[in-house]
Amino acid sequence: MSQDKHEDTDAFPWLGRRLLWLDNRRNVNRIVYALYGLCAALFLADFFYHKHVYLGVEELPGFYAVYGFVMCAMLVICAKAMRVILMRREDYYAPRDVEAEEYPEDQLDRAEHDA
Amino acid sequence: MPEMMPTALLFFLAAAILPVLPQYLRALLLLAVPVLAGIILWNIPEGMLAQVGFMGLELEFMRIDSLSRIFALIFCLAAFLGNLYAWHVRDRVQQVAGLIYSGSAIGAVLAGDLITLFLFWEGTAIASVFLIWARRTEGAYHTGLRYLIIQIGSGVILLAGAVLYHAETGNFVFERMQLGSPATWLIFLSFGIKCAFPLLHNWLQDAYPAATVTGTVILSAFTTKLAVYALARGFAGTEILIYIGAAMTLFPIFYAVIENDLRRVLAYSLNNQLGFMVVGVGIGTELALNGTAAHAFAHILYKALLFMSVGAVLFRTGTAKGSELGGLYKTMPLTMVFCVVGAASISAFPLFSGFISKSLILSASVKEHYYIVWAVLLFASAGVFHHSGIKIPYFAFFAHDSGKRPKEAPPHMLLAMAITAFFCVYIGVNPEPLYALLPYEVKYEPYTTTHVVTQLQLLFFSALAFTVLMRTGIYPPELKSVNLDFDWTYRKAGPAILRYLRAVAGASGAYLGSVLSGWAIGIFHRFQHSTGPEGRLAQSWPTGAMVLWIAILLGVTLVVSFLS
Repeated sequence: MSQDKHEDTDAFPWLGRRLLWLDNRRNVNRIVYALYGLCAALFLADFFYHKHVYLGVEELPGFYAVYGFVMCAMLVICAKAMRVILMRREDYYAPRDVEAEEYPEDQLDRAEHDA
Repeated sequence: MPEMMPTALLFFLAAAILPVLPQYLRALLLLAVPVLAGIILWNIPEGMLAQVGFMGLELEFMRIDSLSRIFALIFCLAAFLGNLYAWHVRDRVQQVAGLIYSGSAIGAVLAGDLITLFLFWEGTAIASVFLIWARRTEGAYHTGLRYLIIQIGSGVILLAGAVLYHAETGNFVFERMQLGSPATWLIFLSFGIKCAFPLLHNWLQDAYPAATVTGTVILSAFTTKLAVYALARGFAGTEILIYIGAAMTLFPIFYAVIENDLRRVLAYSLNNQLGFMVVGVGIGTELALNGTAAHAFAHILYKALLFMSVGAVLFRTGTAKGSELGGLYKTMPLTMVFCVVGAASISAFPLFSGFISKSLILSASVKEHYYIVWAVLLFASAGVFHHSGIKIPYFAFFAHDSGKRPKEAPPHMLLAMAITAFFCVYIGVNPEPLYALLPYEVKYEPYTTTHVVTQLQLLFFSALAFTVLMRTGIYPPELKSVNLDFDWTYRKAGPAILRYLRAVAGASGAYLGSVLSGWAIGIFHRFQHSTGPEGRLAQSWPTGAMVLWIAILLGVTLVVSFLS
């Protein structure tokens, strides 16, 4: 577990060890701030080149940025609202459905990373 | 003369000898067959190469032109990659089913007439269900049955349409058709079922997550893209397809956001990607059809890659559910990287394959003045990044740490993912070889400043929306659940109504029966008296009379069905 400070991370694959800094909350915040900065830069980029577009609406500065943000936020909020009506327990269709079943163990090859 | 032999036959012959071979030879054969088929298909000339007379029909097994060739080639590549991914599988049922399935799909793409198309169409249906049943659980058995009924149904509708088409035109040639007559509508409906049109789509999300780890990878490539090919061949430029396709891109993304099973999320996003191709077919211009073919090619690869990476997680942890996963990047970093490559490709990031294929379709929609459709496709592009591009890698490999520390995927799976990822990037960086394979000449430059900047804006602001919603806690968490979709009508509502009707009929039948049985028995006795074995009328009836009457009945049925 990540909470387990004594976990032996030396046994992780090389690339996994290189990426462990993602476990640190502060580093995740840094990534998020970098994303904010990148978004701001991309928005401003619209003022510094000539757009070759077909539609009037595309010429609006930051059209794609605003459209992407607003529509995605709307998508998630609508989908979340759909859950109120559509969500059922995992075994709703059981036993004629795989959702509540375990995957057959003999077709898997479960192994721990240090095995 | 390899061109004289239908390519599908190669797969079927291999499937026939496969069961008697030892395991390592079986795995090698599974890799060799698609490579050989691919080399043949790459080199043979265009034309109608294998006509076969069959019961008075001229069947065409090898129609090679630029449209069929690109689909047949990507099917060979997908079969190779899927079989490499399944190198560890020793289950002969899956190996044979995979060969017959991919062979049938290639056969269907190369079919020059509707009867040949029908034969291979049903071949894909019957062979592929074994990839679901191979899971060998009760749920998989029932899911497979539902899948089979719908797939066979599509084939039966195709056959009915083909027969009516013959009555109309006097031939079975599979060329561009005009919607209008019952024949063409039936054929259209049959293609639509396999292409997962809205309300006909549920078999896809139902069945693909129920297949085996490797079966889903193979399933994802063929059936639906065969249907896209059939639509492109038969119904290019049919306007209704534009709106059907736009609806297809739209509604699955809402389900994908709240779905917990990551393989079902991918099935929803597969449905959404098909929508782009269907819009391309509907627009029907050279640019749009190029877009459909290019997108099908790119899509098969990145979708397989995504199913491979999630399948590897399932293979190592026993689950593919977002609510159970997280933090796997620590011990499965390579699988994570390949998943991200697939995610970037489906999201159409510059330098990845989706960027150079999807834009052909969007560009065609603007050029033909379908502005609303364009806006829908743009929304769907942002949406697909949201649920496939971010959600899949995020909930599997990052998010909250599940504490699971599985071993990295086995080498053959990593190799299959690496090759697929290579193609995703290579096509994105260097689209010319793919463009050269397309049905028409390409006059399109994907890498313009405007295109790159606007696409990056769209994607990064979608990512921003995800981040903001995640950090504010608005984003819906992954929950163990199922969501009702249209299949509820035939999995719950339909059976419930039938049970109710049966109960009503049973109760009223019991009452009626007690009243009527007195009469019925009386009538029966009277009939028995006159026509029974000992009866007077039966004395002059030879047994052959019954056979004659059956023959007459069949004859009447035939005449009626022929005339109608």
